[in-house]
Amino acid sequence: MKREIGIVAYKCKKCGKLHYPFHDRCLACKGREFEQVKPQGNAKLLTFTRIYNLPWGFDQRYLTIGVVEFENGVKAMGQLKVDESYPLEVGMTMQPSWESVRVQYGEDVYGLALRPLE
Amino acid sequence: MRDVAVIGVGMIPFGRRDEDTLLEMLAYASLKALDDAGLGDKTVDAVYVGNMGGGIIQHQTAIASSLVDRLSLLPAAADVVENGPASGGSAVKNGVLAVASGYYDTVLVVGGEKMRETTGWRATDFVATMTHPQAEYIYGVTLPGMAGMFTRLYMEKYGVTREALVAVAIKNQHMGGLNPYAHVEMAITKEGIYDDHASIVNNPTIADPLHLYDACPVSDGAAALILCPLEKLKNPAKPPVVIAGFGQATDTHTLQEREDPTDLKAVTLASQQALEMAKLKPSDIHVAELHDAFTILEIAESEHVGFFKKGEGAKAALSGKTAFGGTIPINLSGGLKARGHPVGGTGVAQVVDIVWQLRHELPKERQVKNAKNGLTVNFGGFGNNVLSFVLRRVEQ
Amino acid sequence: MAIDMELEAVLRPTQYPMPPYPPKVITLANGKKMVVRQAVREDVPEILKSVHPCLFIERDYYDIVSARLYGELLAWFRHRVKSEYCLMGQVDGYLVGVVNGRMENEKVGMSYHTLAIDRGLRIGSHLFAAKMEYHMEYLNQEEVLIVAESPIGFRRWMIEYPLEETKIPHELGGGDSWRLTREIYFKAKPRLVVGDRPVPPELMEEAEADIKFADDDTIRERIAGLKGR
Repeated sequence: MKREIGIVAYKCKKCGKLHYPFHDRCLACKGREFEQVKPQGNAKLLTFTRIYNLPWGFDQRYLTIGVVEFENGVKAMGQLKVDESYPLEVGMTMQPSWESVRVQYGEDVYGLALRPLE
Repeated sequence: MRDVAVIGVGMIPFGRRDEDTLLEMLAYASLKALDDAGLGDKTVDAVYVGNMGGGIIQHQTAIASSLVDRLSLLPAAADVVENGPASGGSAVKNGVLAVASGYYDTVLVVGGEKMRETTGWRATDFVATMTHPQAEYIYGVTLPGMAGMFTRLYMEKYGVTREALVAVAIKNQHMGGLNPYAHVEMAITKEGIYDDHASIVNNPTIADPLHLYDACPVSDGAAALILCPLEKLKNPAKPPVVIAGFGQATDTHTLQEREDPTDLKAVTLASQQALEMAKLKPSDIHVAELHDAFTILEIAESEHVGFFKKGEGAKAALSGKTAFGGTIPINLSGGLKARGHPVGGTGVAQVVDIVWQLRHELPKERQVKNAKNGLTVNFGGFGNNVLSFVLRRVEQ
Repeated sequence: MAIDMELEAVLRPTQYPMPPYPPKVITLANGKKMVVRQAVREDVPEILKSVHPCLFIERDYYDIVSARLYGELLAWFRHRVKSEYCLMGQVDGYLVGVVNGRMENEKVGMSYHTLAIDRGLRIGSHLFAAKMEYHMEYLNQEEVLIVAESPIGFRRWMIEYPLEETKIPHELGGGDSWRLTREIYFKAKPRLVVGDRPVPPELMEEAEADIKFADDDTIRERIAGLKGR
């Protein structure tokens, strides 16, 4: 089942600055009214890393994490679902999805997953 | 506002201290500082304890209250200060403000952490709790992961090479070998951690492009200071060292919301504030303790505080400018890399090391000749909450 | 005590032929060179001198690992175990690590223990990899069964190779075995198995001349704390 991307970004109604995650006041103009914006389209890879020493709760050998920017400007962190040997590059286009990113207390936790656009 | 002098310092060796509880470590460091200040059988007016993980790892809260009781410092005012890995720095700042304001005359500032009580996986998770819960933490990102992503961008933007990171690691581990308080006292070689193909096992990737020897260890330890107003010092036994300036600044919580993720704005602002307050320029600083939780951060911070132009820090590290005997020696204690990083204790330990430098009390292989002005940077979160202190020796 | 050789013939298990492990040298993080070579039965009493102080160190499960290792090496020495081998790591002639295991049959190896006497240098990783190299590339086995008593071992082997879970009990009697297959080994080899052959003659000579042992206190200090290296 393809899930909707569960990220909500916030566009300041006064000055238009886009925020994710939520801020009670706009980082630019301190405004308090926001329009909710969903990330649109694919995402550009801004930076990434492969982590080998994982926190408690992960049983795998490594985890690939990246920060991306969606076509409508929303920026977010997510898990890159790629093999260790996949040649990742800053600037690549990634396809977003909403998937299980970890298991906590026996339950799946959903978050942003990204795969290279083939 | 009164000038604040450091009249006593104390530190216990950092490392794996299975035999000591957190309170014991804080107490030992505090007693050393009290003795150093000649207050071994006296009390203080206020106590600030820098600690990040007592509630999580030790399942113990309100540790400042436990400490004053243990040390018979009652009825002193006492607070725990938690600010991630800048808990120590924040505790120092609170102590400085307490004395400078005129409200308190003698203040004990102590910082410590007992991180090795738990397994590596849980310690990694504990440190990751400072990331954003929904936007970062859930993904399993770790602080080395944040540093890895930062390093990738920094390397691309400024052409920093792995050799420069290796040079910082070797320098700091070498200095750690000369420091009896250091967690890691093992000198490493470029051959063993980089050139030889065995380095793939000796120095594996932990969060690419960062490797094992680019990261500080997980440490237990504590350090303490005694602060008092300079004006109240009569015939001090040692030349006083004053905290001539401090600064603190914050930046966005998440990495993605930084305007330029390679720009450590909080470091620039905090150090600028500290230098301005002390009426000094970066070139007036003789010795510095920077927050090298990851080797890239020593390079980046050396630029952001103004020792080098942006993009020149790596070259400076490679050419020995930041080593003992260089133009601006950095982390002669071994830094977080080798002296160790018990998170809540680091900010205090950095000040202790600079006080030793400015008192000219260190053995000659670590003592900067005629050091008068020192600077520290204590990084909290991943660059989103930074403190900086400038210390000055007062000649009599 | 005289040994009745006729009785020994009944009590001693048969041994699989085991080709020798060619020694290699590995550069450690501190620049020192560790010679990895195979021990012979006659070396066991000397090796046990270094294992002995570890029996009383609780930290990081050194006590149970060395207690079991002690028994295994003694069993080998006294001809009471099938096809056991032991590899040693030496730096400047000093014993810095010991690993052992045996052939369960021609195809299956049983990994026993890994004891690092000098810490902070990935000696355990290097020696464990050496014994897997022995099973796969010199004994030409298909798989090795492995368990870990310490979280450090678990992290370095089960997670880092990674190993396959099985329901096969391990003869040490603890948890079920994990399995290293030829496929996993060769895939992991580039990042986990290092070393140079042949060993330069002067290093080999030093290693073979004497298995040097630090005194009990030094060993305890090395394992329990990392000061003054």
